[in-house]
Amino acid sequence: MGENMSKPSAKPFQDVTFFTSFKPYNPPATNDAAPPRPSIFSTLRRPPVAKPNDFIPLFSDCITAASSRTQEYLIFKDPEDKFHPSPDALTQIFLMTYISQSVNLNLTDIFNCTAMTPEQRILLGADWVWAVLEKSTKNPRIQIAVQVLHLSDKEGGEEDGVLPETCSESVQMAQRESSDRNMYERMVDFCTSVGKDCYALFLFFGRKNDKSNIYGVLSNNFEAAIGKCDKIDRALLENFFKGSRYLHTPSGMMQSIVTRNEGDPLTLMIKFS
Amino acid sequence: MAATQDAKGKAEGADQNFDYMFKLLIIGNSSVGKTSFLFRYADDAFTSAFVSTVGIDFKVKTVYKNDKRIKLQIWDTAGQERYRTITTAYYRGAMGFILMYDITNEESFGAVQDWSTQIKTYSWDNAQVVLAGNKCDMEEERVVSVDSGRLLAEQLGFEFFETSAKDNINVKQTFERLVDLICDKMSDSLDGDPAVTAGAPTAKLTDSAPPLQQPGCNC
Repeated sequence: MGENMSKPSAKPFQDVTFFTSFKPYNPPATNDAAPPRPSIFSTLRRPPVAKPNDFIPLFSDCITAASSRTQEYLIFKDPEDKFHPSPDALTQIFLMTYISQSVNLNLTDIFNCTAMTPEQRILLGADWVWAVLEKSTKNPRIQIAVQVLHLSDKEGGEEDGVLPETCSESVQMAQRESSDRNMYERMVDFCTSVGKDCYALFLFFGRKNDKSNIYGVLSNNFEAAIGKCDKIDRALLENFFKGSRYLHTPSGMMQSIVTRNEGDPLTLMIKFS
Repeated sequence: MAATQDAKGKAEGADQNFDYMFKLLIIGNSSVGKTSFLFRYADDAFTSAFVSTVGIDFKVKTVYKNDKRIKLQIWDTAGQERYRTITTAYYRGAMGFILMYDITNEESFGAVQDWSTQIKTYSWDNAQVVLAGNKCDMEEERVVSVDSGRLLAEQLGFEFFETSAKDNINVKQTFERLVDLICDKMSDSLDGDPAVTAGAPTAKLTDSAPPLQQPGCNC
């Protein structure tokens, strides 16, 4: 590779061929009807074209900020044992930090984040949805639906993170509408209904053996697991980590998503903190 | 009343006292203003910031008609094609639709026929439809005339309103008309074939007797 390329002369002004390579500029025959040709120097002033994957480092920055902030509360031990941040509070800390960082970095035009309403959280099983946007239409090109799993969650995801006495009427209605499936299955169903460009990401705020870190398992193919198992539960999701030695970074995850061939299945384990 | 009470006589969670429950859907192209329309009706609020709806969402509002309490479960659907599978799944059991277009967007008006076909395909025959030409406050950018909207509504057999969620024009009226149409249809059905309403679509929304199975409809 590269052997056939000519090397520039070390002393160009002593090299005769260097000068002969500059030919006098002969303007083409003028044609009044034709638009003037742009100067070759105008290309130097061309504004940099944003590449489709330029947002990945910014996304990574936002995740770092959100994960670090959340981790502070995740590992917090109150000497008097009075403070116990609720699962909802931890989710909100992560999301609020992510959102403020993404707004500061001007990320939202290319990669946006939509927090779900309480009713949508029940119906679709997602806490929020990230989307890579089509440049011209601003419509989602790729989506990642995110559900946070807390160590304090009861098995099965039936509790929906909301205490019955604090449920609004509409939240109770949403629960009745979706009572045939648990929260994990609802999110997988939602992503499957959209298509292979919609990923489900289960975000673990602490795992049994590592309570202070944030992990994730992402796939656009969880429906295959439904086919093999009776139901999707936390144990099944945690099992993904057992079969994998490699944990992606958040930017590695995003890189894999944007470079994947359309329609291909993709499953990744990620460490977010 | 279809009040839901447990053995101890306590109301089960939130207020569930109502005579009827109607499931309504708002459908139409992306960015015609479906969510804003629902926010204006349910919360009397409006924001010009555009946030595209993900999948589906809903709000509940109770209205009164002839001393009857009618609970409206109003589903706000995403207009984008990628959510079509999930949104059409919620058409089943809907008793009324607000089919919305944007008077400043020709394409959204052109898509009304397709949305109407979707209703016929995924909903039941007795579902009532109101066509709403939204954003009528933007007169200077209008590309769809009132007459075109009215004519299309006539052709499709729908009622018609021009509306503005921003300026609160005809929002309440659209919902009230849809409720009237549903009540009329229920009365007609009960006068005729009672089987039409037996096992009606809202049955799964209540733990006790489905409201629509009550004899007669005086709403």
